Amino acid sequence: MAVVAPPPAAAAASAEAPPDSAWVDTAAGLRRRQRSRAPAERVRRLLWLGLLGAALLALWLRMLASEPHLPLVLQAASGGRIVLMASTDPALQPAIGQALQALVLADGRRVPASAALLPHSPRWVADDTARAALLAQRVLLGQALRQAAVTAQFDGGLQLAIVPRPRGLGGLGAGVWAVCALALALYLAAAVAILDQPGQAALVYLVLAVAQGLNLLLIGAGSLTGLGAPAGLEQADLSWRLAVDLVTAAALVHVLLLYPRRHPAATPAAVLAWAAAASGLAWLLLAMPPGLWWWAQGMLLAAGGLAVLLLRRRRGQPRHPLARLLQRLVLTGTGSLLLLSLAMALAGGTVQGDGAAPYHLATLGSLAWSVFLASLLMLAPFLSRSRQLLREFALLAGVSTAAASLTLLFLAIFGLHPLAALGLALLVSLGVCVAARPWLLQQLAGPGPRSAERMFDSVYRTARALEQSPGQAAQQLARLLREVFDPIEVARTQRAVSQVRVAADGSTLVVPVPQLDGQGVGALVLRHAQQGRRLFTEADAQLCGRLLEQLGSAVAYDRAVEQGRVEERARIAQDLHDDIGARLLTLMYKAPNEEIEEYIRHTLQDLKTLTRGLAAGNQRLSHAAAEWKADITQRLNAAGCSLQWSFSTDHDLTLSAMQWSGLTRVLRELVNNIIAHAQASQVEIGVHLDSGRLVVLVCDDGIGQAPERWAHGLGLGGVRKRVKLLGGQVRWLASGQRGIRCEVTAPLPAGPTDSPAEGAPR
Amino acid sequence: MAVKVLILEDNPVARSFLCRVVRESFSDTIAITEAGDLETARAQISLAGGASGLHGVDPFKLIMVDLELPDGNGMELLAELTHYPATKIVTTLYSDDDHLFPALQCGADGYLLKEDRFEVLVEELQKIVRGQPPLSPAIARRLLTHFRQGGRADRGAPDSGFSTSPDLLTTSAPVPIGKLPDHERLTPRESEVLTYLSKGFTIKEIASLMGIKWFTVNDHIKSIYKKLNVSSRAEAAVLATKQGLV
Repeated sequence: MAVVAPPPAAAAASAEAPPDSAWVDTAAGLRRRQRSRAPAERVRRLLWLGLLGAALLALWLRMLASEPHLPLVLQAASGGRIVLMASTDPALQPAIGQALQALVLADGRRVPASAALLPHSPRWVADDTARAALLAQRVLLGQALRQAAVTAQFDGGLQLAIVPRPRGLGGLGAGVWAVCALALALYLAAAVAILDQPGQAALVYLVLAVAQGLNLLLIGAGSLTGLGAPAGLEQADLSWRLAVDLVTAAALVHVLLLYPRRHPAATPAAVLAWAAAASGLAWLLLAMPPGLWWWAQGMLLAAGGLAVLLLRRRRGQPRHPLARLLQRLVLTGTGSLLLLSLAMALAGGTVQGDGAAPYHLATLGSLAWSVFLASLLMLAPFLSRSRQLLREFALLAGVSTAAASLTLLFLAIFGLHPLAALGLALLVSLGVCVAARPWLLQQLAGPGPRSAERMFDSVYRTARALEQSPGQAAQQLARLLREVFDPIEVARTQRAVSQVRVAADGSTLVVPVPQLDGQGVGALVLRHAQQGRRLFTEADAQLCGRLLEQLGSAVAYDRAVEQGRVEERARIAQDLHDDIGARLLTLMYKAPNEEIEEYIRHTLQDLKTLTRGLAAGNQRLSHAAAEWKADITQRLNAAGCSLQWSFSTDHDLTLSAMQWSGLTRVLRELVNNIIAHAQASQVEIGVHLDSGRLVVLVCDDGIGQAPERWAHGLGLGGVRKRVKLLGGQVRWLASGQRGIRCEVTAPLPAGPTDSPAEGAPR
Repeated sequence: MAVKVLILEDNPVARSFLCRVVRESFSDTIAITEAGDLETARAQISLAGGASGLHGVDPFKLIMVDLELPDGNGMELLAELTHYPATKIVTTLYSDDDHLFPALQCGADGYLLKEDRFEVLVEELQKIVRGQPPLSPAIARRLLTHFRQGGRADRGAPDSGFSTSPDLLTTSAPVPIGKLPDHERLTPRESEVLTYLSKGFTIKEIASLMGIKWFTVNDHIKSIYKKLNVSSRAEAAVLATKQGLV
C-alpha cells in the first residue's frame, strides 16, 4: 500500500478505551494466575497436600477412636428426664428405655443425669451459670472415664456397672465421618485455590478454610456416639471453638480486604483486624467475662458486618460483580448467624425449666450453621468459573438457609421434636425454594444472554458488516459483544490473544479479534457483564468462542460467494467482450455508411463500458474523472471542439461498478449528443461532489434550443434512465444566448469502505 | 525500397482495415505482410532475419500485433521481439490498463484501439511512429506505481480494477530485481508528467502547467516508455520462461 493509514486498531483503541486502561493490559496480558508450574506439577502438589490432609484426619479419627467412652446413648424425654435409648454393651440392654438418674464414680462422686450429659458444646451455651455447670460436669465425666468402672443408676433402683472402653473406628457414629469428610473437602478446595492462584489472598483463604475445618472437626468430636469427650477437650473445647471462630472472623475480613479488589489500606486494616481478634480472644479466655457467649457472638456478627461493608460499592470505580455476589453470601452467612443467636436467646429465655430444647437448638443450629459456612467457603473460589455451579450453589444456599432457620424457629418457638422440626423445615424450605427458584436464579446468576433469535440477528448483521468492511472487524465485534453481554466497558488491546478467556475472576472477558484482513491482531477486553450485575463464566467464554467461529465461517462463506460472483462476472464480461465485441467490430468495419458506423461504434463503446463495469471492481471517483476527461478531450478535439473541464470533490469516494458505468455512459451520451447535433465550438464540463451530492454540468455553445421540446430518442432517453437508476435527476436548459446547459445531480453517499485516510488522492 | 510492415490480426476484416490505416498513414511504399496467428507471424519474422533482427536481411520496420489470437496472446510475440529493431504497436479492443500495461512492459512502443475512427487511427499511428505514443490516465497511474515500487509488485497496483481478470499475466510473480538502477528510475520531471497524465491532463495542458514546450513533454513520455521497457525486461524474461517461450 502506498498510503500509510493510521493502524485502524490504534484508532479503535483510542475510540473505545478510556485513557486509563491499565486493567486492559492486566487482563489481556500474562494470566493473572501465574502458572509458573506445569499442570502435572500442580496435580502432584495437590495430591501431596491431599494425602497430608487425609493422613492428619486419619490420625485425628484414630485418636477419637481410641479415647474411652461410656456406651450410653441418651436422649431427653418429657419432664426433663434423660432416657437411655441404646447401648452397644449387652449388659445395659435391660436398662434401655429407662431414665438415667445419675452416674456414680468409684470414689462416690455423683454425676446427676441432666441435659448436660447430651452431646453438647460449652461454646454454644448462652447462660453463664449453665455453661459453668456444664464445664464442671464435663470435667467430672472425664475423670469417670479414666476409672475402671462407673455405676449407672436408673429409675426403679436398677444399678449397672459400666466399663469405659474405646469406641473403635466403627463406633464413632455416622455424623463424625460426614463432618470430617466435609472438613477434608474444604481443605482440598483451599489447596486447589492456593495452587491455582498463589498469593496473599489465597493464603488467607487457606487460613480461613483450615479454621473452619478445625471447627468441623471439633463439632465432630462433640457429636461422638456414646458418652464422653476426648481427653483434653472437656474444657478446652470452649477455648478451641472460640479461637477458630475468631480466626475465621479475622481471616474473613482480611481476605475481603484483598479480594476481589485490594483495598487501599489493606495491610494496616488487616493487622488491625487480626489484633482485634487476638485481643478479643485473649480477653474472652483469660477474663471469662459475664455474658461470654454474647460477646463472642457479637464479635462474629461485627466481623460479618465489617465484611459486608468492605464489599460495598466504592466511590469512583465500577463495582466488581464478584463483590456483589460475595456480599450477598456474607450477608446470608451473617444473617443466619444472627438468626441462630436470636433463636438461642429466645429458647434460653422461654424454655428455662425443661433444659433440653436449648441444647438441641444449640447442637443442631451450630452444626447447620457451620456446615453452611463451610460449604459457602468451599464453593466461593469457584463461583466465577461456571454459571451452572453458581445456580446450583444459589439453590443449595437457599435451601439450607431456609431449612436451618426454620428448624431453629420450630424448635425455639413451638418446641417441636427435633426430627419433626427438621423434616417440616426441609419440606417448607424446599417448597419456598421451588417457588422462588426463578427469582433466585435471575438474582444470583443474572439474566442470561439474549434470546436466540435476537442473537442470531446480531450475528447475522455483524457478519454482513464484517464482510463489507473487514478492516473494521474490531469495531463490529465490539458492537456485537456489547449487544450480547452489555458490559460497562469495552477496550481494545494490541496484545495477541490465542483464545477467548475469562480473566480477573469473572469480571473481565478477553476476546481475540479475528484476523479477517491480515491486520486485525489484538483483542477486545470486556469488563463487567450486564452493567456489572453479572460475572463472566466459562459458559460465556464458550459462547463467545462459538460466536467467533460462526462469524468466521459466515465471512468465509460470504467471501467465497463474492469471489464466485466476481469470477462469474469477469467470465461473462470476457465472453461478451471477446465474442460480441469482435463481431461488432467486424460489423463496424463493414458499415455501409458513416451513420451506421458511428452507431455501431457507440454500441461497441457501450459494450466495453458494460463489460468493464462487470469485470472491474470499484473505482475511485478521481480516477474515473481523469479517464472521462482524457476520453472526452480526445473525442471533442477530433470533432474540432475545445473542452473546459473542471473537477472537484470534497471526498474521493469509491464508485460502485453500477455508479461508474452509469456516469460514464451518461457523460459519453451527452458528449455524443453535442458532437452529433450541437455544432458547438466549446464545451464546458464540470463534475463536482459536495457532501454526498454529485453535480455534473455539461454546457455547450452550439445551436441547440428549447430543450423542453426535444424528442428524447435512444440517446437522451438512455441518459434519463441511467440518471434515474443512480437516484438522481437530469434537466436540460437553454443557456443564455447560445447553447444548452445540462444538469445532472445524483446522490453519491460515501460507502462503508471509504475511510478518509485512504480517500486521499494518491 | 519498400517499408516492410507486419500485421498480426486474426480477423480478416479488421486486418484489411488496419492495412488501409497503414497505407494511409505513410507516404512511403509499403509492403505489408499479413498474419492470422502467432505461428505465421513467427515464420514471417524468421524469414525476415529472426527474432533478434541482427542478420540485417531486411527487417520489418513496423509490427502491429493483436493481443487476442487463436493460438496465443500477442504479448508472447512481443516478449520474443524485445531486441527486434521495429516499431511495435499493439492493436486491441481492450482499452484498460490491465491489458495494455503488460503489453507495454513487453516492449510495445504504443497501442491503437481498434474501434477508433479511421482518421483517429491514422493520426495515432503517425504519432506513435514519430515517437509520440499515447498514455491514458489509467496507464500513467500504473506506471507511477510501477516505478515507485522499484518495478516490483505492480500487478497489485491499488484500484487497478481489473485485478480479477483471468489474464494470463495475473499470475506473474513480482521479480525480485530490487531497487532500480539510475537509468531505469524516473526523473522528477518525468514523474511530474506522469502525475499530470494520470489526472487526465492533455499534453498541451501539461506543457503550459510545467512551463515547457509540448514536444519536451513528449520526450519525457518517450523516455518513460523506454525506461518501462528496460525495467521490465527482466520481468518479461521470467514471464516468458514461465510460459515456456524461451
